[in-house]
Amino acid sequence: MFEYVWLIPLFPLIGFAINGLLGKKIKNEKIIGGLGTVMVVCSFIVSALILLQLLGLPGEERHFEKTLFTWIQSGNFKADIGFLIDPLSVIMLMVVTGVGSLIHLYSIGYMHGEEGFYRYFAYLNLFTFSMLLLVLGNNLLLMFVGWEGVGLCSYLLIGYYFHKKSAGDAGKKAFVVNRIGDFGFLLGIFTLFWYFGTKFNVWTINFHELALQSHLLSTEATFGVITLVTLFFFIGATGKSAQIPLYTWLPDAMEGPTPVSALIHAATMVTAGVYMIARMNFLYIKAPQTLMVVAIVGAATAIFAATIGTAQNDIKRVLAYSTVSQLGYMFLAMGVGAFTAGIFHLMTHAFFKACLFLGSGSVIHGMHYALHHADHHEHCAHAADVDPQDMRNMGGLRKQMPWTFLTFLLATIAIAGIPGFAGFFSKDEILWQAFANPLHGDLNYVLWGLGAVAAGLTAFYMFRLVFMTFFGESRLIPEAKKHLHESHIVIVLPLVVLAILSVVGGWIGLPKLIGERLGNIPNYFEHFLEPVFANGHVAAAEGAHLSATLEWGLMGTSVLIAVVGISIAYALYIIAPTVPARFVARFPRLYQLVYNKWYVDEIYDFLFVNPCKAFGNFLWKGFDVVVVDGLVNGTAFVVKNTGGGMRYLQTGLVHNYAMTMVLGVVVIVGVYIFR
Amino acid sequence: MDLLMPVVNFGAIMPELILSVVAMVLLLVNVFLKTEQKAYLGYLSLLGIGYSLYVVMTAWGTPQTGFSGSVLQDNFALFFKGIFLVGAALTVLIADQYVRREECNYGELYPLILFATVGMMLMASGTDLMTIFLGLEVLSVSLYVLAGFNRKNLKSNEAGLKYFLLGAFSTGFLLYGMALTFGATGTTRIAEIAKVAAASSAVVQNPLFLVGMLLMAVGFSFKIAAAPFHMWTPDVYEGAPTPITAFMSAGPKAAGFAAFIRVLMVALPTLKADWTDLLWILAVLTMTIGNLIALNQDNIKRMLAYSSIAHAGYALVGFTAGNSIGTAGILFYMLTYTFMNIGAFAIIILVGKKGEPNNNVSDYAGFGFKHPVLALVMTIFLFSLAGIPPMAGFMGKFYLFSGAVKAGYVWLAIIGVLNSAASVYYYLRVMVFMYMKDPTEQFDWVKMTVPVFITLIICVVGVLGAGIWPAYLLGLAQNAMPF
Amino acid sequence: MDSIFFYIVAATAVISGILVVGCKNPINSALSLIMTFFSLATLYVMLDAPFMAAIQVIVYAGAIMVLIVFVIMLLNIRIESGKRYMHTRVMGAILGAVVLIETLYVIMRPASQNLTGGKGPVDAAMVLNVGHTELIGRALFTDYLLPFEITSILLLVAIVGAVLLAKRKV
Repeated sequence: MFEYVWLIPLFPLIGFAINGLLGKKIKNEKIIGGLGTVMVVCSFIVSALILLQLLGLPGEERHFEKTLFTWIQSGNFKADIGFLIDPLSVIMLMVVTGVGSLIHLYSIGYMHGEEGFYRYFAYLNLFTFSMLLLVLGNNLLLMFVGWEGVGLCSYLLIGYYFHKKSAGDAGKKAFVVNRIGDFGFLLGIFTLFWYFGTKFNVWTINFHELALQSHLLSTEATFGVITLVTLFFFIGATGKSAQIPLYTWLPDAMEGPTPVSALIHAATMVTAGVYMIARMNFLYIKAPQTLMVVAIVGAATAIFAATIGTAQNDIKRVLAYSTVSQLGYMFLAMGVGAFTAGIFHLMTHAFFKACLFLGSGSVIHGMHYALHHADHHEHCAHAADVDPQDMRNMGGLRKQMPWTFLTFLLATIAIAGIPGFAGFFSKDEILWQAFANPLHGDLNYVLWGLGAVAAGLTAFYMFRLVFMTFFGESRLIPEAKKHLHESHIVIVLPLVVLAILSVVGGWIGLPKLIGERLGNIPNYFEHFLEPVFANGHVAAAEGAHLSATLEWGLMGTSVLIAVVGISIAYALYIIAPTVPARFVARFPRLYQLVYNKWYVDEIYDFLFVNPCKAFGNFLWKGFDVVVVDGLVNGTAFVVKNTGGGMRYLQTGLVHNYAMTMVLGVVVIVGVYIFR
Repeated sequence: MDLLMPVVNFGAIMPELILSVVAMVLLLVNVFLKTEQKAYLGYLSLLGIGYSLYVVMTAWGTPQTGFSGSVLQDNFALFFKGIFLVGAALTVLIADQYVRREECNYGELYPLILFATVGMMLMASGTDLMTIFLGLEVLSVSLYVLAGFNRKNLKSNEAGLKYFLLGAFSTGFLLYGMALTFGATGTTRIAEIAKVAAASSAVVQNPLFLVGMLLMAVGFSFKIAAAPFHMWTPDVYEGAPTPITAFMSAGPKAAGFAAFIRVLMVALPTLKADWTDLLWILAVLTMTIGNLIALNQDNIKRMLAYSSIAHAGYALVGFTAGNSIGTAGILFYMLTYTFMNIGAFAIIILVGKKGEPNNNVSDYAGFGFKHPVLALVMTIFLFSLAGIPPMAGFMGKFYLFSGAVKAGYVWLAIIGVLNSAASVYYYLRVMVFMYMKDPTEQFDWVKMTVPVFITLIICVVGVLGAGIWPAYLLGLAQNAMPF
Repeated sequence: MDSIFFYIVAATAVISGILVVGCKNPINSALSLIMTFFSLATLYVMLDAPFMAAIQVIVYAGAIMVLIVFVIMLLNIRIESGKRYMHTRVMGAILGAVVLIETLYVIMRPASQNLTGGKGPVDAAMVLNVGHTELIGRALFTDYLLPFEITSILLLVAIVGAVLLAKRKV
């Protein structure tokens, strides 16, 4: 089966080609959506077969590369179009194709009747193709192509509702911010390649070869080239995975259709940065300083985004900040050298966050439908103006949308970290590693503390969301409420599957402690991934030195924190719903600060965007127009004499251009002869 | 008195000869053609270009020298000749529709394009300062005329005149530089210059030699539109007829690089430390100024003019690196840039109409909905210009910057990559208008003719092909670098 | 004696050069330009290049300048007012001064004793014996044959261009 790995990205590409070229002619939504979904399902089946075959091999043989052809060959530099199969890429494959298939299916129902239905599915398939390329690529450059490809599709899909200005702007923002990250990635490739080549005469960008040669590197205690390289890659990761300081695009990206938010901005694309670091673990482990930066940024993002999440009223924005926060957890795991735990959380997060997003999509879909139909009634003509995404307009939806409610609740429990659910195992593993891993000395306790507080905040804002949306009195206009009903089966079915995964998905990675109690159930997940991280293994990462009592204690603490968070949410939004309003009235400044996302966007605009534009403007207007076009006879003269005075206009400008040239010559020659 | 016979080897200038003869024939045929029939001249010139290209391809790998060392047709020259011929062919293909529409269908267009190409080819294969200079003059004079070709249009007149005045001015610097170099070394053959300089340190320390190098560098910088000698570019690009703008942005820039590279690398290796310093300063200035000003442009032709300045900056990064991957990267980049830029200009021609060039970015509002395929093609070109994989522009930048990193100019590569990240903004703006604004126009005048269609196919294939399978072209480019 | 003569001629060339850009009346500028050309021709003679001197006078001072004066008179260009280009004048003066300083610095440096590098095979005796015209002719038709031929293309292009841009009806 390994030989056929190229089929996996090929299927979505075919789907893209057919839908993109013929979609407009086909018109039939069932054919278009069905085709798009089937293609991804095919990829899923191939991936599953590969997984089965991989499981049949002994651990050390679980590595295979399929090279299609040599892409670039120039001197020492060689890059293939080649695919890499190992436990890490297969896990990513399963997540991308599995969750991807469900979301494709969901989209058929969600996007029903939208203008440009075919365009949507074409983009979605193209995205899946790019993501698979990113995951499967056996070298850095191919990964980069996928990396750019997913960025492009993300841009196209965010701007899908282009009639809204905010959607177009959000798409552009996402793209430009991502490009800032990409430059880090690219520089990382350059520097790594030439460093390895010139220092050790190892000219390669192939992951496997790099990993094999990584023993040549020595661990850098102080700042060195590998630290620089890994920091470059990390810049790339912060862009794609929405970490401080480049996270601002992700909340805005919620302008896209909800399934897109679920697939791209929760489950797959945004985790690419985590995947990349895990893939390069053998490098990162040699640069403890970078790991420290990664850990700090991750922990800071986790708690920072969580605080913002507590004050948002738009259901999707809460989830967006939650995603940023959870991605922070994954980076925290990477930063403390617990690569397995990070990937584990990546997987479970894909399940429950996709479920949450799709659930919110179901709610929005229902609300939109209800408000739209209520709009036809005479005495509530403005119902369509009510924001269907604002939680303040919801409440009590559990009666009308029982399936959505149930699945949403399960996923929420999972993300909050209640024992037995998927999120608990992965999150607890990360927190435990953050605490027990001696990589960063005393900083570990701070990291653990930040993570634990963020976990409490997560439990709080997620249950706040659930309570505001599904519990309490309905705040919807009565006419609209009549039209509210459960969504179509193609929407509910993926929800149910994802909810089940959110519940049981964590059991493949049981902590050793619990596994032993339950009759020696091993941590399958960790064993499976072990060969990949063999090179980047930190012996102490397992936290063997600390007692089991302490581990139980920490586990209990994190559960306790989660329960406290839930209780506060229950108290504030169910028992005494007036308190939050009073709190806001009491501390208006603080509320405004949090509600406006700590004004980070404004600060960025002020610090980077505006000066850049102003400088360009200055160069153009100040330099080219004023200085060059002439202080006296330039601008003013142009305005006055546009008609008849062409001759003067030209001579004036040319004089100045020539003058600038002479100035350039004089300066250049002067610098050289006077030096 | 002894009889001296000149050493002639027509094989070394065969592609130039073919084009010159075809151009002269065209001038004659032109007299007998009516205005509607001028397109035949285009077909004839395509035949000439095709034959010349065939000669270029068959000559690959067999370097020939001729005219007592005035020219050397090696792989380096052949690669560039290929670029020029492709650029000329694509220009001829897109020109007809434009000149018909703008009613400036004068038959001299085609011979002038061919003569300009002859000039470029002589610049690429010239191994004597005089050959290079005269090649540059043939090119420049043809371009002055071509820029002012739409003679009823004031803007075109202005462009031609401005280009002429400033071009003549910069030629002065170039020629003075050559004269000083000649004064210091006593020869104009570039290989001899290197020999003389290597033999005596007095020559290398002679300030005339240094100043000669600097002034030649200034002259070539003008041709490739490097800052601070870039001022003419936006005005001339904006005013010139669009096919000519496309032509100017591709071939002549490459020709400037060809001569620049050959003169600096072959004739002046003794001053390498000096000109490397100059080159990186020029590279940083050129990239940054080009990109920053492009951010604020609303006119798409001006925007592409500043973008072409920025691209010259990227190429200078590879030149600064001076190693095989960097310089081969320039060759690769120039070829792919020809495809993407001429392709983009072809779309600009289609969007314009008689008297209404529709050159504003906002004129592209909703273009993606009315003409999805054309907009997609434009998107490919813009993405390639922005350097997004898998388009050719990405691979080109990749080679240039990795050459710089290899040569130890990591910070230069950082500036380059940052610049190209900033450049995405203004390319993306066009796309935002094409795909994310409601159409204000019906775009029903946008009609594609067969030649333009062929051009777009060639350009798309070139951009995607060189992006996905760059190995072949890069291999050729590396073969072409003898220095 | 030679050097005194050289300084006089050189001074004439420079002063008339300044007058070309300094005169307000275009005709005066043109006449100053002729003066410059004549001075340069004299310098060529002093450098044992009589053919160049003759060409300089015949082509530049003769044909080209006549054309320029002709154009000026035909178009009846008014006397420029000094105001418009004031800032370019100031800038130009500054830049000119800097160029002068740079040049003087290069010449005055002790390191630049021998500014003219290697000498070619042609010297004064050879010019006297063989004749300048023949020497130039040989160079043009042997070593520099290709550049010479390219010149013909250049002229052809210039003619085509001039006709195209200037002719009333094409």
